[in-house]
Amino acid sequence: MQTTVVGNYPKIPNRPRPGRLRNAINKRDRGDLSSEELVTIEDEVTAEVIDEQIAAGVDVVTDGQVRWDDDQTYVARRLAGVEIGGLQRYLDTNTYYRQPEVTGAIKFKEPALAAAWQFAQEKSSRPVKAILPGPYTLAALSADKHYGSREKLALAFAEALRGEVDALVEAGCKQIQVNDPVIVFNKDDYGTFHKAITKLLEGVSGAETGVYTWFGDCAGILPQMQELPCDVIGLDFEAGPGNWEALESVTFEKKLGAGIVDARNTRLETAGEVAEAVKRLSAAIPPERLYVNPSCGLEYLPREVAFEKLKVMVEGARQAEGVAA
Amino acid sequence: MVVEKTQEKGTGSVRASTALTTTAVGSFGRPDYLTKARSAFAKGDIDRAELEKLEKQATEYWIRVQEKIGLDVLVHGEMERGDMVAYFSGEKGGLPIKGMKLGGLVRSYGNRYYHKPIIYDRLEWPGPMTVDMWKYAQSLTDRPVKGMLTGAYTMVEWSFNEHYPTRRDAVMDMAKVIRREVEALVAAGAKYIQIDEPAIHTRPEADFGDAVEAMGVTVEGIDAEFHTHICYGEVEEIWRPMQKLPVKQIHLAFKNTDFAYLDLVREQGYDESKDVGVGVTDSHTRFIETVDEVKDGLRRVLELFPPERVWVLPDCGLKTRTVEESEAKLKVMVDAVRDIKREMEIE
Repeated sequence: MQTTVVGNYPKIPNRPRPGRLRNAINKRDRGDLSSEELVTIEDEVTAEVIDEQIAAGVDVVTDGQVRWDDDQTYVARRLAGVEIGGLQRYLDTNTYYRQPEVTGAIKFKEPALAAAWQFAQEKSSRPVKAILPGPYTLAALSADKHYGSREKLALAFAEALRGEVDALVEAGCKQIQVNDPVIVFNKDDYGTFHKAITKLLEGVSGAETGVYTWFGDCAGILPQMQELPCDVIGLDFEAGPGNWEALESVTFEKKLGAGIVDARNTRLETAGEVAEAVKRLSAAIPPERLYVNPSCGLEYLPREVAFEKLKVMVEGARQAEGVAA
Repeated sequence: MVVEKTQEKGTGSVRASTALTTTAVGSFGRPDYLTKARSAFAKGDIDRAELEKLEKQATEYWIRVQEKIGLDVLVHGEMERGDMVAYFSGEKGGLPIKGMKLGGLVRSYGNRYYHKPIIYDRLEWPGPMTVDMWKYAQSLTDRPVKGMLTGAYTMVEWSFNEHYPTRRDAVMDMAKVIRREVEALVAAGAKYIQIDEPAIHTRPEADFGDAVEAMGVTVEGIDAEFHTHICYGEVEEIWRPMQKLPVKQIHLAFKNTDFAYLDLVREQGYDESKDVGVGVTDSHTRFIETVDEVKDGLRRVLELFPPERVWVLPDCGLKTRTVEESEAKLKVMVDAVRDIKREMEIE
């Protein structure tokens, strides 16, 4: 059993610790800091949040997506055919993203993620997992002014993002995770999702690949998801308690990324609660196929709460294993 | 339709216009001296009394501006509030609802962060939170000043809930708290109370009914005219259920969507017993609309609504605008209404 995170990590701490990245971006926006100087701050904050995840005891970390404004635009804005539009509410949260607007044929230009992953891995004593936005979610959350069909758009995103996947594998990244949550709200459109993920990940070798969902359950689509060309499926058991039943009613042959710590509420779980949830999962999944993680990215929480949640999560996972944390 | 409003002196004794009533949504740009004073107060450099003096000074400024420009129903400007939820949850200078406190910083988008409140215990009314400021603002003018509150659904949706087993439980208790504040405002003489619900369409399929029910708990049986402000988001999805909100007026950001909501009125109707609050200037751009542009919007609205049912306002609170921009946005609005009334011979 390993512990991990789903993607993003809060970018700034609370007082008395300084909000360096926030201040730096403000300075850059005022013209008092160059873009190169901002990258240096992003590098430092990336190293800082990796250290924090490791200090909490997390086995497989991410770079915290420190450089990302949101899950969509960091990668989408680098693709040909995509422009970035106005603010939209992200699903049922009180956070907002700038909507990608697809105005022409989507094309991969140059990798954005491989170098960032390499930097993060150099700073980390533990494996760093690379995060990719899912093609289905990108298609669903973009304004399509070119393709005229969700499926064509999702497949175009998948084809372009494959360039990122290949570059990550080539750079030596061993764990690549696709965050594609919106399918839980659009189960009727599962076929499109399946085709897009297949286009994105089929034939990838040399790295473990995962597809993560959140904010809902995969009841009804979990059997077909077993056929996806990926090694890990991530499920949110907090916002999607239906996943418990879904899991019991399927022969789950992949690894499971189990979101069993609520990343959207400051209420702190106890290690005992986490251990209970892990034990409940053990009926369906042997420990060597289990990742324990928060229910989604941690940016919905204040930094200090996110850290406490990770500590409790790790402690609970170790408790369930019968090992000291 | 809007009836004549005759009120006692000092609590808005001037009759509001009965057609194309003009008002504002809540907040205005904060003058520099107050922004500085708030940060000095946060650092402990000035005390609460000094800050309050400046808040009142700025409030009086905005009452005079609205009178001079010629608005019919005024707002106090929310000079004392930072955020519409945090003000009731532990923001410095406000009296927090019992069971709420401010949490750490959470990012909302880009480089914007806010202290997200936490519901950590049973919610209870702490005593009047907004009444003194309302009374002060009303004492300055003969025109009615609206009481301004945030609705139960939005209060809960924009907070962490550590205490209640379900969101619904928290929303219903919050509604009782807000009701106590409504009662206190009405007891103090408020005739119009606006209860903002900008988060109401967060998950329309799951729990919009709860939000409607909570509004009922908040206002039903209380003798005042209630308005609610809903902005942005997928208003299309809640158009029909939204009509069930037990308020006299719903106001919406029409300008922001170039009056596309009028199509919804045509297709899906609009509750005959309600007034409509029409946002005619975009609150989130520095660009000041021309009088002609506002008039054009109003003409489109008046194709569907009789003037008696239309209230005219900016799309949203103006706190992200400067003082000058806020004033300019109000002025084009009132000038446009004056022109339209003359042209269409509306009394």
